[in-house]
Amino acid sequence: MTLLAVALFAGALAVVAFDWVHRTKAALVGAGAMVVLGVIDQQRAIAAIDWATLGLLVGMMILVGLTERTGVFTYLALRAAQLSGGRPIALVFVLAGVTGVMSAFLDNLTAILLVVPITLLLADVLGLPPVPLVLIEVIASNIGGTATLIGDPPNIMIGTHVAELTFLDFVVNLAPVSALTLLIVTAALAFAFRRQLVITPARSQAVLQLDAGRDVRGSKYVGRSVVVLVGTIVAFFLHSLLHIEPAVVALGGATVLLLVAGDDVEDALERVEWSTIFFFLGLFVMVGGLEERGVVGEVATFLGDVTDGSATAEALVLLWGAAAGSAVVDNIPFTAAMIPVVDELGEGEPFDDRNWWALALGACLGGNATPIAAAANVAAVGVLERSGIQVSFFRFVAVGLPVTLLSLGIASVFLLLVQV
Amino acid sequence: MHLRDLPLVEASVPERATLLEAARTLAAAQTAAIAVLQGDGTVAGLFTDDDVLRGIFPAYVEDLHHTAFVEEVGQIVGSRLQESAGDPVTRYMRPPLVVELETSALHVAERFLHCPWGALAVVERGRFVGMLRQVDFVARLLRIV
Repeated sequence: MTLLAVALFAGALAVVAFDWVHRTKAALVGAGAMVVLGVIDQQRAIAAIDWATLGLLVGMMILVGLTERTGVFTYLALRAAQLSGGRPIALVFVLAGVTGVMSAFLDNLTAILLVVPITLLLADVLGLPPVPLVLIEVIASNIGGTATLIGDPPNIMIGTHVAELTFLDFVVNLAPVSALTLLIVTAALAFAFRRQLVITPARSQAVLQLDAGRDVRGSKYVGRSVVVLVGTIVAFFLHSLLHIEPAVVALGGATVLLLVAGDDVEDALERVEWSTIFFFLGLFVMVGGLEERGVVGEVATFLGDVTDGSATAEALVLLWGAAAGSAVVDNIPFTAAMIPVVDELGEGEPFDDRNWWALALGACLGGNATPIAAAANVAAVGVLERSGIQVSFFRFVAVGLPVTLLSLGIASVFLLLVQV
Repeated sequence: MHLRDLPLVEASVPERATLLEAARTLAAAQTAAIAVLQGDGTVAGLFTDDDVLRGIFPAYVEDLHHTAFVEEVGQIVGSRLQESAGDPVTRYMRPPLVVELETSALHVAERFLHCPWGALAVVERGRFVGMLRQVDFVARLLRIV
C-alpha cells in the first residue's frame, strides 16, 4: 500500500509536470484512485481536505474578481507605467514593484492575469519586446507573493494549516526578505535586459498621454469595492487579535462585497476558478493518502537523519529542497506534500517557526526556476502564446534559474542571520 | 413554419481560404457567421464576426477588460493584420452549430438561445444549404404571431 500511495502521487505529479492532461483531472483521478484502491478510506479522505485553504481561495477570488470589474487594477498599472516617465529602467522597476505588491495582497496568479495583458499593450505602444517585461513581472509576482499569507498558494496552505502563524507573522518574517530580494533581482534583470529596452521619445509620449482613469470614472461601485478590499486586507492584519481565521476574513469580505456591489451573484461566483479549487481538493486527498501510509513520517525521519538534528541544517535543506522540488513539479503539490513532513519534524518539540519560513521561501522562490514551477508562470506563458509569442522552456530557465539561485542565496543568509 | 420558407444566405468559404478572404465574404454577406466547408460540402466549422476581431486585434485584447484609455490603435491593428491576413481560416473557425432543414421552430429557437452569435448553418443530409440569420427567423415568427 505504501508503494501504491507513492506511485499514485508521483504519477499525478508527473502528469501535472509534463502537462499531459489538465492538472485538475490528474489530481482528481489520483485522489479517486487512492480511495478506490484503499490507500485511504472515504472518511479520512474527506477529513484530509483543508477546507480553510479552499475557503480562503474562494473568498479572495470573489473579492478580487468583483473589484477587477471596476478597472481599478488597470488604472494602477497604467498610472505606475506613466510614473516611470517613459524611462525603460524606471519602467522595469515600476512594473516589478506594482506586480510584487499586487501579488502580496491579491495573490500572484491573479496579479499576473491582471498585469500581463496590460503590459503587452504597453509594449506595443512603447515599441518594446514584451518577453523581457513579462518575465520580470512573473519573477516579481513570485517574489512579491512570498511576502504575505495570501500572496502565493504555498503560503496560503502553510498559513491556513499552522494555527500559530498569523498574517502579521508572515509579513514580519517574510516581507523584508521578499522586498530586498525583489529589489536586487529587479536591478539584475534591468541590467541584463538593458539593450532590449529602448524607448523613443515619441513612444514614451504616447503612454504619458493615455487617460488612465477613463475606465474607472465610468465604472459602478469603484468606491465600495476598493473600501471592502482594503478593509479585508486590514482585517487580515488584525485577524489574530480579532480571533478570526484568515479563511473567514476572506469569505466575510467576499460576502460584504456581494451585498454592497454584487448585482449578480451568478456572475460573481463565475469569477471563482473552480478548476483550481478542485485541483487543491484532489491534492489534499492524495497527501492524506501519503500520510495514512506512513510516507510522510519516513521522509521526515530521513530529513532528520540527513541534518543530524541541526535546526539550521534542517531549515537550509528545507529551503533548497523545497525550491528544487517546486522547480520540477509545481510548488503547490510539492508544498502540500511537505506540510505534513514539517509537522512531523516539529513533533514533540516546542513550536519553532523557522522551518515553516524555510518551506515558504523555498517553495515560493523556487517557483521562478522553470515555466512549470508556479501557476503564475504557466498563466503568463499561456497569455504570451495566445498572442503568438513563444517562450521556450530553456529561454525561461535561462532567466529563471539564475534568479532563483540568487533569491535562495539571499533567503539562506536571512535564515542563518535573522532566523536564529 | 419550415426553414425552406425562410431566406437563407449562401455564405461560405472552403477550408483552404485565408482569414482575409473569409472576413471579406462575411462582411459582404452581412451575416454574423459564415460556414467553412469541406470538399464534400459538409460544414467543417463556422467563422464569425468575433473571429474577424481576433484576427485583426492582438490576442491579449481578449484578456483585457478595461481599454477605454486607449484612443489610437492604428499602428497596432495594421501590424497585426499584416501578420494574420494570410493565415488559414481554419485557425480561427469554431465548431459548427448546425440545424437540419427539416426541423421545428422551437428547436431553431433553442439553438439560437444557446448560440453566442446570430446565425446558424442549415444543412440537408449533412450538406450545407445556407446560413439562417436570427433577425430573419425572428421577423418570420412575428409575422406568424
